[in-house]
Amino acid sequence: MLVDPEKCTGCQQCLIACSMKHHGTVNPNLAMIKILRLESQELNIPVICMACDDAPCIKVCPMNARVRQTNGTVVTNTDVCISCRACVYICPVGSPVVNPYTDQTMTCDMCKDDEAGPWCVIACREGAMRVCESDALTKGVARERAGRSRAIYPNN
Amino acid sequence: MKVVIIGNGISGNQVALSLRERAKETEICILSAETVPEYDPCSLPYFLGGSIEKKDVFKKNIEDYQQLNIDIMFNSKVVSIAPEAKCVTTDNGLEIGYDKLVLAHGGDLFIPPIEGIRNAGVFSCKQMVETEKLESHNGRRAVVIGSGAIGIEAAEALKKKGYEVHIIELLGWILPVLFDEPTARRLEAAMEGHGIHVHTGEKVLRIKGDTKVTGVVTDKREIECDTVVVATGVVPGTALAKTALIETGRGIQVNRKMETTVSDIYACGDCVETFDSCTGEVVMFQLKHNAIEQAQIVAKNILGDNIKYLGAYAFARVHFFNTHAATFGKTMRATECLLGKSELIEKESGNDYLRVVLLDGKVIGGQAIGKYADAIGLFIGAMWRKDDMDRLRGKWNKIPQSGAAYSWPLIRLGQIIGPAAHG
Repeated sequence: MLVDPEKCTGCQQCLIACSMKHHGTVNPNLAMIKILRLESQELNIPVICMACDDAPCIKVCPMNARVRQTNGTVVTNTDVCISCRACVYICPVGSPVVNPYTDQTMTCDMCKDDEAGPWCVIACREGAMRVCESDALTKGVARERAGRSRAIYPNN
Repeated sequence: MKVVIIGNGISGNQVALSLRERAKETEICILSAETVPEYDPCSLPYFLGGSIEKKDVFKKNIEDYQQLNIDIMFNSKVVSIAPEAKCVTTDNGLEIGYDKLVLAHGGDLFIPPIEGIRNAGVFSCKQMVETEKLESHNGRRAVVIGSGAIGIEAAEALKKKGYEVHIIELLGWILPVLFDEPTARRLEAAMEGHGIHVHTGEKVLRIKGDTKVTGVVTDKREIECDTVVVATGVVPGTALAKTALIETGRGIQVNRKMETTVSDIYACGDCVETFDSCTGEVVMFQLKHNAIEQAQIVAKNILGDNIKYLGAYAFARVHFFNTHAATFGKTMRATECLLGKSELIEKESGNDYLRVVLLDGKVIGGQAIGKYADAIGLFIGAMWRKDDMDRLRGKWNKIPQSGAAYSWPLIRLGQIIGPAAHG
């Protein structure tokens, strides 16, 4: 998942899509994404679980409720989560969202059972979020540069 | 290759699991002194308080060991190690040979020499057996001796069960290792507000009662009670290592590859003494994430990699009811014996409180209560990166007004800390 904060307008369409997908209601408080507003920089930063390779939340959870899924994401097992918020505090970006109704934490699971892909990506009208392979970004830039030099030197 | 792991706790199982992920053929044998499959001691207080069922405490069941092709031997407390013969002896006389040995037997509960500590009604909350006894005990008034993480969690659990709870701490404030005084005082006030009585700076002189507990006598007062929970800390088990002539300090001494001083013997978890990741001094942080990280290092080194451990760090959180607090790294008190210029940043708004400890401009620790705690992960990141805060504070004013999205964690840090206090 690639997030481009410079494109984000903070419209919260992704939050609404996320809560619709995972809870069946339109309630931005139930979304697994946070939008951090930095007024001084005029920036809106969507904060999503980065599914760290060496995830510290898995190690500190006293209930072992943070579980790595087959698609690589890490989610909270709500059967055993005792809402101690250890995962929120250890997270390097503070991404786990505390469910205001159950007090348990939630993080992005990339809408794993949905063939259409993550709903937030579909909902985002600014293109601030998209799904891509880890090396697609650098490949894209390389291709763009190659195209530019082709325009300058068409015969080589 | 045969790997023998002593101890069926978090680190012991993590070694086995990490080994099995990469080496399908290696023979792995875990020797456990207890009689139950792997469980998580961190979740015992929640089982005690009734938040979770007993089955949720366990991380594995017997079938999981078979599935992973790991031999597990219960009721086998290892009494001695013979490094020349490469074999260990258990208390029921069994001799088991090894190629690589991992000591992960953890720590023992420190039982202070107080009169009456063996009375009926005195419990601990570190092992499954003891916690089950406490869970089935019917009492009304409880005294928790010691206010470490276990003590605080046990106190909250007992309060949830309807006990009247008193906590007695010998030192000046609760959680003395993890929190500084101003933070701890706020937590104390929150606990008092929830009806848990906190007595700091008091020494328990004796536990009253001939066979059954009837009260606790401290140097300042006498508290009537029918339940006592001993939570005075965990001491690393070094007796076993001494039988193999392994060097021990407060815990088993290991190098950066988690090897002990005797070849082919590794150690990890609560029983070792490691060094702090920020300052390099010898410390003991008997916390779950350190145990897991050390175990992963051990597994990699057994398989022939040359991986070095980056050091242990403290991270803990406490919560009672709706007050949440988190702490990481060093406390201000611990920096007093370090060289270098230490600096303290404090922020307060209402009930929320933030405290960041800097040493020579680098974050080495912090504590937070309430909404500030939500961003404490950013400070932990800054600690790992060894960000120079003095330089950053100069830069924060110069960041362009729009854009610069890549540096948002730093901008957020700047927002929280505020501009440099020149003086």
